[in-house]
Amino acid sequence: MRGLVSVMLAVVTAMFCTLVTYLPPIGDVKSAPNQHVTPVYIERSAEDTGSPNIVTGVIIDYRGFDTMWETSVMFLAGLTTVLLLTSNTVGRRKEGEPEDKEAGEVIK
Amino acid sequence: MKEPFGGIILNVAFRMLVPFTIVYGIYVLCLGEYSPGGGFQAGALLSVGVLLARLILGFDTKFNVLGETAVVLAGIGTFLYAFTGWLTIFGGADYFLNYNYMPIKLEPAHEMHALGIFLIEIGVAICVMMTIINLLDGIVKRGEEDGSAE
Amino acid sequence: MQIYIIEAALLVILILITCAVIFCKDILSAAIIYSAFSFCAVLLYLMMGSPDVAFTEAVIGTVSTIFFVASLKKIDRWCK
Repeated sequence: MRGLVSVMLAVVTAMFCTLVTYLPPIGDVKSAPNQHVTPVYIERSAEDTGSPNIVTGVIIDYRGFDTMWETSVMFLAGLTTVLLLTSNTVGRRKEGEPEDKEAGEVIK
Repeated sequence: MKEPFGGIILNVAFRMLVPFTIVYGIYVLCLGEYSPGGGFQAGALLSVGVLLARLILGFDTKFNVLGETAVVLAGIGTFLYAFTGWLTIFGGADYFLNYNYMPIKLEPAHEMHALGIFLIEIGVAICVMMTIINLLDGIVKRGEEDGSAE
Repeated sequence: MQIYIIEAALLVILILITCAVIFCKDILSAAIIYSAFSFCAVLLYLMMGSPDVAFTEAVIGTVSTIFFVASLKKIDRWCK
């Protein structure tokens, strides 16, 4: 099993390393992602949104609905983490349960 | 934290550094339209002051946001974002977060966009700041209540 | 051409820092070295021309280092 996982990881790493050579250079105007909506954003975002920073214009104005749910997802994730961390019963060892020598050493 | 990190060097460094951090956070928040940055980064910068105060001066410090207050304020920050969207709907917009229909009319039209972006960034900043403070609260409180941490 | 040399050097430093974080026995040192990882990532993002992402990475690197050090009070500093 361990050998199989190693071989698969090696194959996936080799695939990624070969794929990197096919990427377009950074800042290439003729590459596929820079052909579709990017010229419109660059041309019109200053007059449409009133913000000279195109990133802010795209994130908050053109894609404002996405950012709203992104913020609420982050709020819910933080709230869930706090609830899990401050509750006294989740992840605790029971009273009479023997201490696990392998895993329980680190936490005092 | 029951016994803070303390020490005179840390105290003095804290007192000298934190006001500049907070001023820089507000600068990033207000100029998020013009320069790199925005609500998320401003919230994280503003939270650094409270985090350092809790770690260095202890949990009884005056410069603090309590855990329950932080949870409520994070919810309020998220609500501010949605409330801006509702404001545009009340103004008669055809879809959510269309800033051309803000209730306050400004000329030219992209000034209303700037106002909406500013309101939204305030909401995001409050939400991020309070969420980070909540996370520190959860990490530090864990194990201190039942006396298992000596 | 020069920018590619600097970028390649930064990538090699990034890999070395990651190996150091993995093989470090002292958890406090690992947290501090991880902040160095975040700084190298900031430089790389700046070279790719995205100052927003670089800013976010810098701030979050600082805050996460504070979290690691705060949680170190609960656990043993040395791992076996």
